[in-house]
Amino acid sequence: MCVLCGEFVSGPHWTDRNHEDAVRAGSISEGEYQTLRRRGRIGRAGVVSAVLKHYGLKLDEWSGARYVLRNKKGRTEIVGDLSGVWTAAEKMLGFAPDPLDMSLLEKMRT
Amino acid sequence: MKSKKPITIVTGFLGSGKTTLLSRLPVGTEGVAVLVNEFGEVGLDHHLLRRVNERTTLLGNGCVCCTRREDLVESLLELLSMESGGEVRELRRVVVETSGLADPAPILFTIFEHPVLRHHFEIDRVVATVDAVNGNLHLDANPESTKQVSAADFVVLTKRDLATETEAHALETRLQNVNPAARILHSGDDINALFDHDVTVRDAPEAPSDPHSGGTDSVSLTFDGAVDWAAFGVWLSMLLHARGEEVLRVKGMLDVGETGPVILNGVQHTIHPPDHLDEWPDGMRGSRLVFITRGVAAGEILASLEAFAGLLGASPLALRAVEAPDADR
Repeated sequence: MCVLCGEFVSGPHWTDRNHEDAVRAGSISEGEYQTLRRRGRIGRAGVVSAVLKHYGLKLDEWSGARYVLRNKKGRTEIVGDLSGVWTAAEKMLGFAPDPLDMSLLEKMRT
Repeated sequence: MKSKKPITIVTGFLGSGKTTLLSRLPVGTEGVAVLVNEFGEVGLDHHLLRRVNERTTLLGNGCVCCTRREDLVESLLELLSMESGGEVRELRRVVVETSGLADPAPILFTIFEHPVLRHHFEIDRVVATVDAVNGNLHLDANPESTKQVSAADFVVLTKRDLATETEAHALETRLQNVNPAARILHSGDDINALFDHDVTVRDAPEAPSDPHSGGTDSVSLTFDGAVDWAAFGVWLSMLLHARGEEVLRVKGMLDVGETGPVILNGVQHTIHPPDHLDEWPDGMRGSRLVFITRGVAAGEILASLEAFAGLLGASPLALRAVEAPDADR
């Protein structure tokens, strides 16, 4: 558990792990790794927002360690990774956003 | 840095020949630890043989595949401390045998999530044994058997000598249809290859000849261009959150516009840390992905990817089997 925020720390989500081995093997520098990691997270937040806007939700990346999910009534949830994002979205919406849901796909196409 | 130690998982239905397969492990292989479920008649005279009692902890979100195998954590940590304490010279590989009714997903989850283990071990491959005589029966009657085959990278057909040629052949076709990404071996083949790090398991998946096999559905697909990795990660994690228990397997390589592909391998909710390669194996550029689903039609996956094409930057194309030689089962 993180002593500062009281949050349980689990292993990094697989989407956050793509350059992990490269930096451990020394083929990219620590700074470069942080840049790539942050860039990936910001990119994913943008994609999530593009999908969840159909449900009235928006996701922002915050400081390379957190994501902030908001709805239009101002409710926010702070989570660590994409797995947390989907769980939080499910909590806010009352159902899990489903990429196989035909009505969502219809909106995505237009 | 030292590379991670490979783990081979041997799974297979009750009586399908897991123990027999293990007993044929090359004798005297040094540095190979074996974790078995029960001491049977394994002729393994091995001080690195450990018995583990399956002990699971269900995590908060209550999904069956996200359970942690505490027994396995303990045994693997013990092996690590034996190595650092000098009791074992070098631990080169660990072979984990699952019980016949086990779902392999929790084992993968355990290794990927554990704060210590994930830096020391990697799941190298999952081997499933299937009995040539009763295999069809197991696949029909037991969802566990289908899960095991879907999770496998190698399927070993055992007791081939007890089955007729047609039976064995039909079963083989069925297995390939259930899991187009697996390589099928016969127990008579050189099984050393299964425990050898150099044998690559990164084969491009074949397109299934009959994708609707035994309650599962599978689709092999490619994309008409490079895929945005961030968008794909979002799509897949969203799919797995909503439909994780219906997506039995995701495997393949993805062209993300880098010099090499991203190797993707997932069993239910559990995704291997994606491996970014520097170059394309056999020089052929192009995404190749297989989805094995149950309760979700392959067409739904394609339709979803198609709708996400704007975000992904490429459209999916289903790969069709070129020929279906054994379609008349």
